[in-house]
Amino acid sequence: MASPIADYLLALADDELILGHRASEWCGHAPILEEDIAFANLALDEIGHARLWLELAAKEMGEDPAKYPDQQVYFRAPDDFRNSQLVELPNGDWAFTMLRQYMFDAFETQRLDALSAVNHSGMAEVAASIRNEELYHLRHTQAWVRRLALGTEESAARSQAALNALWPYAQQLAQPLPGESQDVPSSSDIFDAWRNMVVPFIEERVLIIPEVSGFIGDRTQHSDHLAPMIADMQEVARVEPEAIW
Amino acid sequence: MADTQWPRFMVFERDQPDHPWKHNGSVHAPDLEMALLNARDVFSRRPEQAGMFVVPMAAILTQTREQLAENPLVVKKLQEGQASSASSSLPYMIFAKTFEQGPCEYVAEISAESPEAALAVAIATTAVKNPLWWWAFAASTVLASDAADAESMFAPARKKSYKSSNEYPVVTMMRQIRAKGKLED
Amino acid sequence: MYGADVEQVAIELNEDPQKLADFEARIARGEKIEPGDWMPAEYRRQLIRMISQHAHSEVVGMLPEGAWITRAPNLRRKLILLAKVQDEAGHGQYLYHAAETLGATREEMLDALLTGKAKYSSIFNYPTLNWTDIGTIGWLVDGAAILNQTMLARCSYGPYSRAMVRICMEENFHKKQGQEMVIRYSQGSARQRQMIQDAITRWWWPTLMMFGPHDADSPNSGVLIRWGIKTRTNDELRQDFINQLVPDLQACGIQLPDPDLRYDEQSGNWQIGEIDWDEFWRVIKGDGPMNAERMAARRKAHDDGLWVREALSAYAEKHSPLN
Repeated sequence: MASPIADYLLALADDELILGHRASEWCGHAPILEEDIAFANLALDEIGHARLWLELAAKEMGEDPAKYPDQQVYFRAPDDFRNSQLVELPNGDWAFTMLRQYMFDAFETQRLDALSAVNHSGMAEVAASIRNEELYHLRHTQAWVRRLALGTEESAARSQAALNALWPYAQQLAQPLPGESQDVPSSSDIFDAWRNMVVPFIEERVLIIPEVSGFIGDRTQHSDHLAPMIADMQEVARVEPEAIW
Repeated sequence: MADTQWPRFMVFERDQPDHPWKHNGSVHAPDLEMALLNARDVFSRRPEQAGMFVVPMAAILTQTREQLAENPLVVKKLQEGQASSASSSLPYMIFAKTFEQGPCEYVAEISAESPEAALAVAIATTAVKNPLWWWAFAASTVLASDAADAESMFAPARKKSYKSSNEYPVVTMMRQIRAKGKLED
Repeated sequence: MYGADVEQVAIELNEDPQKLADFEARIARGEKIEPGDWMPAEYRRQLIRMISQHAHSEVVGMLPEGAWITRAPNLRRKLILLAKVQDEAGHGQYLYHAAETLGATREEMLDALLTGKAKYSSIFNYPTLNWTDIGTIGWLVDGAAILNQTMLARCSYGPYSRAMVRICMEENFHKKQGQEMVIRYSQGSARQRQMIQDAITRWWWPTLMMFGPHDADSPNSGVLIRWGIKTRTNDELRQDFINQLVPDLQACGIQLPDPDLRYDEQSGNWQIGEIDWDEFWRVIKGDGPMNAERMAARRKAHDDGLWVREALSAYAEKHSPLN
């Protein structure tokens, strides 16, 4: 049963899943042991959030919440994912990873603030519970972005390069999500609130917000990086789709 | 280029807002703020905390039972510290590990001129006798989690039930295989 | 030498005989030695060697399983595996802390690992070739590690013993999630049964090697047992492991790759054929299938992270100096 709310929830889940997946790639390769642990926490939270949104989508669709999340994650084609391109880009260096995570977490806290107030009890409840974790992520990533931007010449240069690369992709967050209706907060309003939050934070750390030209398109458009990532993610599950893993 | 793993900080926690602080472990971090965040990430992987604080390793004075017993000079110095005037005194936090199986736990906050002086007062006046070791550090060197942040810092671990070994019914599964030659689903 | 009386040992080690006798009496009474207490230099050296090696094993041990996080076949397994590899980082962190209480620095310990001076458990120099290796590592490798760590939880050095208590509690989850997978796959489709059989066949002997050489060939065993760092021998622990695992694996219908494996009624022990000790020493000396890759991965993370660590040190210096 197709439903606009389910489409919307699926897009929320895809953002979390894909970013969580990228974050999990650092586990064992972070710059210091404490951060291997911290970043894995973040990845666990994001993937957990994806699962919560997918379970809610299952209810909307009348599907089994125990099975539907895995079906969507492991048996959907890359073209059918509705995450923003910001979260699918490869990790790059630590400055890129942290800045991307900060930008997305900031957007998430704005989006979740708005979602906690929607007139849909399941959605408002999940949003409120997830928001708690995102607040901690934001605290963690803000602490990192500030230090990297104001650390050494090298870390400042890497932070600026990361910002230049990420900023155009972040503009896509203003695009409406699939199934976005009057009943849910508008992405473009959330984007404005987000901009008001992150621009002063970034500029205070003497980074320069780049000019943006060009247009990334809506969430049906993906970079070349998504398909290989999804193929890797689905490899084992598709060995034997009927088996219990 | 020489490596740095950053300085070390001792980590303390409590499992209820009204329970005593106890030592947990240490983290490496570049500064106090990051030390508190790292402490949260390293030690709240499983739900046990209601609060946490960190203190730079270099700020801690340690005296073990053996050091106190074998080095009268230290005891003397401690006593001298106790005797000196309290005009420039600061609050110090005193911790002690009393039993092998127990934690290194909060004992008292004592105003004194130096960590040595604070420890001397603790030894003379508190109920703790002859612990395995004492720690003293200035309260001003500590960074603690804010009660308002407790939910975002410590609640997330509660949702991750898959970290508990109780989630895996392996004993039942083995029993089914032995009895019936297969798993019941 | 470590069977000798305390005066003789004190002479050999150039330690004060009275202090050494007091120290050994404390251990005999079951007291824990704590940081700051008097200890023979050799006790400190052995502990730093052993604890840092154990810490390195946790950190290098993240790699073979970490390689499968992105490919875990459902969300539940993905969360479990990520949490498990994260725990291993946490255990490495606790263990480095325990070694730091003896005066070793993490900089020195990591340098020793990255320059090849320090060892880590050879088991992590074997590759993870299919998804069911993840279950196998959980049940076999973590199961073996828990036996060793349960013994070390009684060790005479307080901080090491306490780290072990905590690690064993968390490792139970590692072992059980692995056992759940092995059982499930052994009762699953033909393809799953073939995958799990392949994984167990490859991991069985390397897991038995984890307990170390026979007691007679174990150069450090004497001193470790004398000073209560180890309380059981390699062969005793290995036998316990075999007795625990063989009946369960057989009940699952899994074949073990040992034609000499048999049950000895008299002793109540499962007896195995001879371990390939040439392979054991070869892998320890750096010639295992994955030694070079594991070290390359650790070095890359370390080198790529240097500018990051320096940036945060520089920021701290400018904005929030500790002194």
